[in-house]
Amino acid sequence: MGKARPAIRAAVVVAVGALALSACGGSSSTSPSTSGAPGGTPTKGGKITYLEIGEQFDKVDPQRVYTGEDLAFFSGTIFRTLTAYKFSHDPAEGTSVVPDLATDTGTVADGGKTWSFTLRDGATFETGDAIKCADIAYGVSRTFATDIITGGPQYAVSMLDIPADPAGGSAYKGPYKKTGQALFDKAVTCSADGKTITFRLIRPVPDFNYTTTLSAFAPVPAAKDTGEKYDASPISSGPYKIQSYKKGKGGSMVLVRNDKWTQESDPYRHAYPDSWEVNFGLDSSVVDQRLIAGASADQTAISTGLTPASLPIVFNDPKFADRRTNEFDPYVRYLAVNVKKVPNLKIRQAIAVALDRDALRTNAGGAYAGDFADGVIKPNIGVDFAPTTLWDGLLGKTIPATGDPEYAKQLITDSGQPAPTITFDYPNTPTNEKAASIIAASEAKAGITVKPNPIEAGQYYGIVFDPQKAHELINSGWGPDWPNASTVIPELFTKAGGFNLSQVDDPEFTKASDAAKVELDRAKQALAWQALNKKAAEQVYAIPTRFGRDQRLPGSKIGNAYLWPAYGSWPYGDMYVKTS
Amino acid sequence: MATAVDTEPSVPTESAVPEEIQGRSLSAIAWGRFRRDKVGMWALGILIFLLLCALLAPVITNVMSVDPYSLNPDALDKENGGVPLGCGLPSSGFFCGISREHPFGVEPGTGRDLFARMLYGLRISLLIAFSATTVTVLLGTLFGIVSGYVGGRTDNLIGRFMDLILAFPQLLIILALSGVLTQRLEAMGVPEGNPARITYLILVLSIFGWPYLARIVRGQVLSIREREFVEASVAMGSGTRRILFTEILPNLWAPIMIYATLTLPTYIATEAALSFLGVGLLPPTPSFGATLADSVTYMSIIPSYLLIPGTLLAILVVTFNLVGDSVRDALDPRAGRV
Repeated sequence: MGKARPAIRAAVVVAVGALALSACGGSSSTSPSTSGAPGGTPTKGGKITYLEIGEQFDKVDPQRVYTGEDLAFFSGTIFRTLTAYKFSHDPAEGTSVVPDLATDTGTVADGGKTWSFTLRDGATFETGDAIKCADIAYGVSRTFATDIITGGPQYAVSMLDIPADPAGGSAYKGPYKKTGQALFDKAVTCSADGKTITFRLIRPVPDFNYTTTLSAFAPVPAAKDTGEKYDASPISSGPYKIQSYKKGKGGSMVLVRNDKWTQESDPYRHAYPDSWEVNFGLDSSVVDQRLIAGASADQTAISTGLTPASLPIVFNDPKFADRRTNEFDPYVRYLAVNVKKVPNLKIRQAIAVALDRDALRTNAGGAYAGDFADGVIKPNIGVDFAPTTLWDGLLGKTIPATGDPEYAKQLITDSGQPAPTITFDYPNTPTNEKAASIIAASEAKAGITVKPNPIEAGQYYGIVFDPQKAHELINSGWGPDWPNASTVIPELFTKAGGFNLSQVDDPEFTKASDAAKVELDRAKQALAWQALNKKAAEQVYAIPTRFGRDQRLPGSKIGNAYLWPAYGSWPYGDMYVKTS
Repeated sequence: MATAVDTEPSVPTESAVPEEIQGRSLSAIAWGRFRRDKVGMWALGILIFLLLCALLAPVITNVMSVDPYSLNPDALDKENGGVPLGCGLPSSGFFCGISREHPFGVEPGTGRDLFARMLYGLRISLLIAFSATTVTVLLGTLFGIVSGYVGGRTDNLIGRFMDLILAFPQLLIILALSGVLTQRLEAMGVPEGNPARITYLILVLSIFGWPYLARIVRGQVLSIREREFVEASVAMGSGTRRILFTEILPNLWAPIMIYATLTLPTYIATEAALSFLGVGLLPPTPSFGATLADSVTYMSIIPSYLLIPGTLLAILVVTFNLVGDSVRDALDPRAGRV
């Protein structure tokens, strides 16, 4: 699910979270799946309204969508992919792969270096044209046009068997320039009947069929591709199509049924509602108020998170008990430490040791915000998680959640350098402003000066990814793209990774990470990730602050409103409007 | 005099002037009028009280043993979203979170004392508003006098320049340029961080504010420069500078005073609005606007968090405006209130 939503939307995601236990004052955590299921059997019809704070979707182009909630929304409604995640509230089942456009979850050969998928019969675009192998191959090829198709996952580029050019990029430059087209056509091949697609990979990827759940692997009809402009009106392959899309405050996106789509060709999506309407640019507290008040039009509405201020209202009132959700989301919240600017390990450790993580968590919503994190791998990922003991002796001492300024001072003395002055980059929201104050206050106790650097929320990731503009400490969050730490450790802490805010470039670390990526024995691979997670914690590439939680309140007439573990989102392809 | 002390001051004043004709300066007369304005005196009293609070903020917070910056995690309910203890529960009252230790309550999320933060916020607000007003008055007076007295092409040039500034979409420019210009100021040697941001706010407020005053001053100067004493001074061969600053300027201080007292509250409100929109000071510096921006989301569960800073800001602006009105009445009794 890639990056945590930055900006205003992230503020919502970041700030929410809670232990159901505490929230409900001792009542056990209510399973959200019960909210929809016993209410009756799902029925077709109705409209679901999605109340959105952002003024638009980041991206709608299938190859460019990379935010968890958006991936879930679009793959549930307009973009089909070879494989997909099962609709389930259960953490294991909800992250298991099922076939979508393919007839099964893929055939692996050549020790994990060749993957082939056979396409289902009868699947079509909204134009009525059948979805063929060439359309999927074309969609994948768009990822390589990194000058036009920006912002999406780069797994196709890093995994397919296409050599690198001297500059370090792929020798294939995408379907617009066509440089190196032959290389791509060799790596992704179609059978003669156009029914089977085969991917040849540069290294064994035992879980490649997880990669293909990303909408970056969705089909795009070459004849309809408008390059950069495709983002405004992509061609649907799913049960709905875009009727209108108007960005900005008061704007909306309306999805209506795609009459070319048939249930027989798509046993995966249920497509219960007749239409979807996304309303953009709403004020977060207004969204919360509407869902809490539950006027008739808002009973079929959803939003993607509650603001901290609404949590006490929703979680202290028994009338919301059967529909509120309170779950771990896929994200780890952390402060990336820019190792280019803070090369001294002891100084990095001192910054981590002095930090008052308890106050930060309270500011983000207390128990609702999640549990204290000890690394960038979260327990709900499965086998790849093991405690790093970061706060329990890894740094030489047990560090309380409120920080240990005395020990931090000692580490600074050991470093042989004066106490540093560092700058903290964060998206400019009231909650983050208070977090900046907390960080500055707790670091000051150890003699470290922290300068706050608020960045306009909409431009946040654009600025902090610029090595010229990024400072020492960077507010961030990350969730795995699928339940394997190969989508966490290499992404965050190697030069080739897509989210290396820490600017780590340690040859030894990269070597170990590359080796772990191709390890075919899943148990051994898990051990390798655990070791790297611990190493990253010890090196303080990032200061993990929270394993985040997420709280939501769907309208009272929404069925199957559970948090889908695959993306930490609503299960868009499974939701329905209750008739009674 | 009799009982009609608090009616319109014009009648008694007229009769008062001839009685005590000796030794009463213009300002003494004005002060006499002001003193008879009950509303004005009340407002002035409150204002002086607020100014003293701002000046003595460190002393007051010390006595109350509160601090605007220190975190108070113990005052927060970690199991209930990090709001102040006692808030956000079905049983919570209107004034939840308020206690003897924290008379205005504490900030949700950090537990910082709001009373101390408001006092310090008041200081910053007043600092910015007073400085911006001073710069506005200096610029407005200077350009107004020159424009009105010199006339001709200079007048034309300054006039069009003022039109240009007045035509700018002020708020948009302030928001858009804040990042760039603050950095530019830092590069020019203004200390990094809050000093640069305060300088920026003062500069933009006064740059967009002076043309209003300059127009008023210009109008006044146009009539004053035709008066006999100016002509006499010209005839005696005085230089332009002497005429401008010793002959004309003293006759302008009434409109300038009025304008200044009415501009101050506008700047206080604008500064709060700007920091509400995120173009304010860096955390952890307290400010009304930033507090209000945060408090809006908590409106339904911690009403006092929004109401206390909101009311304080309103009192500050209203008292300044009332004092400004009274100053105008005192200096220019013929104008009367609208």
